[in-house]
Amino acid sequence: MEATQVLFWFIAVVTILSAGIVAFSSKLIHSAFALLATLVGFAAFYVYLGADFLAVAQIMIYVGGILILIIFGVMMTHRIYDTSKRTAHNSLILSLLGGAAMAAILGMIIFRSPWTATVFKTLKPTTSMIGTSILTNYLLPFEVISVLLLGALVGAVYLARREEDEE
Amino acid sequence: MNNLNSLQYFLPELFLSASILIIIIVDLLLKKDKKIITAYLSVLAVLVAFFLAYRQYNYAFTSLFEGMIVLDSFAVYFKVLTALSTIIVIFISMPAFRRHSEYYILLLVVTLGMFLMVEVNDLLMIIIAMEMVGIISYVLAGFNKFNMKSNEASLKYVLYGAASTGVMAFGFSYIYGLTGHTNLFAIQQAIVGHSLQPLPVFIAFVMVVAGLGYKIAMVPFHFWVPDVYEGAPTPITAFLSVGPKAAGIALFIRFLITVVAHPASQTTFIQNVQIQAPLLLAVLAVVTMTLGNVSALGQKNIKRMLGYSAIAHVGYMMMALVVFNTRGFTAIMFYMVVYMFMNFGAFWVVQSMTPHLGSEDISAYKGLGYRHPLTAVAMAVFMLSLTGIPPFAGFIGKVYLFAAIIKQNWYTLAVIGVINGVISLYYYAYVIKVMFLDRDEEIKAISVPLYDRVLLWLLLIPVLALGVYWGPLIDLAHNSIGFFFGN
Amino acid sequence: MTGFYIVFLFLVLGMLIVAVTLLLSRLLQPRKREKDKFIPYECGIVPEGEAWIQFNNRFYVIALIFIIFDVEVLFLFPWAVVFDTMGMVAFVEMMIFIAILLVGLAYVWAKGDLNWVKPKPRLAHLAKKKGE
Repeated sequence: MEATQVLFWFIAVVTILSAGIVAFSSKLIHSAFALLATLVGFAAFYVYLGADFLAVAQIMIYVGGILILIIFGVMMTHRIYDTSKRTAHNSLILSLLGGAAMAAILGMIIFRSPWTATVFKTLKPTTSMIGTSILTNYLLPFEVISVLLLGALVGAVYLARREEDEE
Repeated sequence: MNNLNSLQYFLPELFLSASILIIIIVDLLLKKDKKIITAYLSVLAVLVAFFLAYRQYNYAFTSLFEGMIVLDSFAVYFKVLTALSTIIVIFISMPAFRRHSEYYILLLVVTLGMFLMVEVNDLLMIIIAMEMVGIISYVLAGFNKFNMKSNEASLKYVLYGAASTGVMAFGFSYIYGLTGHTNLFAIQQAIVGHSLQPLPVFIAFVMVVAGLGYKIAMVPFHFWVPDVYEGAPTPITAFLSVGPKAAGIALFIRFLITVVAHPASQTTFIQNVQIQAPLLLAVLAVVTMTLGNVSALGQKNIKRMLGYSAIAHVGYMMMALVVFNTRGFTAIMFYMVVYMFMNFGAFWVVQSMTPHLGSEDISAYKGLGYRHPLTAVAMAVFMLSLTGIPPFAGFIGKVYLFAAIIKQNWYTLAVIGVINGVISLYYYAYVIKVMFLDRDEEIKAISVPLYDRVLLWLLLIPVLALGVYWGPLIDLAHNSIGFFFGN
Repeated sequence: MTGFYIVFLFLVLGMLIVAVTLLLSRLLQPRKREKDKFIPYECGIVPEGEAWIQFNNRFYVIALIFIIFDVEVLFLFPWAVVFDTMGMVAFVEMMIFIAILLVGLAYVWAKGDLNWVKPKPRLAHLAKKKGE
């Protein structure tokens, strides 16, 4: 096996195992920390696919931001140890079957379809390409995102704010 | 068209964006008891955007911002409609929401999102526009943050919303992978040009329908509807069932016409990929309206009942989507306007009466016909119009919907639709019965402020007027969609 | 792109160093099991209550605001890379983007969401007594 393939399987095992911990762990905080490994695993996949900017974005936004928020969220929960220990499964067999069917269909599509958009064979930095795109062809989405972020900021802060702070 | 030249065709959106920024700053300068001024400014801003959008009606089809969005009369029709829905919801909210200017700022952001939703022409923009409407709607649903039901509504909305957006984005990734484009026109060319395998296209189509179906509250993506509609502040409930839904339907129609339809005729679905869109849509329409109507039957809470009825109305509109021609789309566009007035009317009665009745239960409306006759009669008109009984606007809307499908020989669908209308009569008429036939011994009259009565009349008049004189509106709708088909 | 191999090398090296140090101390340390050693360390005093306390709501608000501006910063990277080739256009476009988000900053600032501590004059009478 080549080195890159070993690397791939290493990343895959780490990502899937930690995702399993996220889903099946009996403690919320363990799930939250296991998510760290999952998200970093994804970032590694992006690197593996040659999407360097996306990998950095993944680390910055998801690991550096959203995960922190999730952990704060867990830590702010009242009496975390008294809440039910396990994620409820209505029917383990049914959900397993559903998941397996979904995986089968998606797998079939992924392996059989003639994809036109392919991964670059030679790896090169993508950041400048993305920079040019968001300043020319994709300018509108880029600017609209700033309004979206502004709205999200106002809304989220309104909800998270304690009212007595305002008085 | 390049970015700089596109700006002159982008005035309504630019104006709205500028107003959002200005109103946020004005809010910071206002004293605590003067926050209502932001509501006045918001109405003004949306009114101006409304007229700016209306002025675009006669522009020829234009592709803007390097193909990110397109401007056509179809988009303008829906922009005007959604702007109107925002104006109405601000007027509905003003008596209750006086302290928080965030409410009005967020409504403006949603309006901008809806404007973008109806004119998008790129997968990336679809996601951004839908998230703009979605994310802000989650906040608005939970705006009464000390009300547990409102919190629950917001949380459920977020969870379902995030999942459906994820599914839709996954479907988009398939479309992009198969065709190599994000522009809707280019995708259409690629689907027609290449011999693609049916299964991936079908799965991608189903995923996109899931995302859009969530936005318009279509079964089986409707689970959030009852709880969100019950828990959210009443004006927001009314708004969600009209504004974002209209934008969602517009986006759905645009996606079907630009991507799934055959470019030569534009009135038939692409044959070479075998996605069976009409049959799929017909089944979804039947399930949607039947489930909505049957679930509405047993409801005790009037907002919950109206929530299920909103699902049913999506089902009616989807019937006309099945036939996929100008007639069907015209009927949907006409119905959306009618639905806006009657639905806002019903919710306004709920909003203005709840403080007097002390409850949102249908039983609280007992004897309302004697306590405040005008409100009760108006409510009766809205209920009958929602059922589709002449001579009200809802009837005309339904006639056009049914005419469109019967013309294309979808008789079974039409029969199921009529049966559904009969089922819905039961629960709509039940409200009327409670208001007029049940009465207490002593009648405590309710005094309704002038503002409430004027707004009630403003919502009532279109429902009555469109029931007898609907020609201009149907022509407008027809022209808008005709433009789309290039004739 | 080869830069990522260096990153990978650093990652492996970092993990190795941590592992080796832990292993070394494990080998060298004297081991005596005592009950007190299993108590969470709290500056040398006996800890009171549980280690798990409810966090201040402020952390959450600040983290929320941080994420929004984190996303903004993310867009600055590709912009900075192409800035010298695109010049003025890029500058104006990015300034619009930043200006819109600055309004957001102004909003949270003016509303006091960035204030960590808002001293409440609950003990005002005590302070007065002291001053006398």
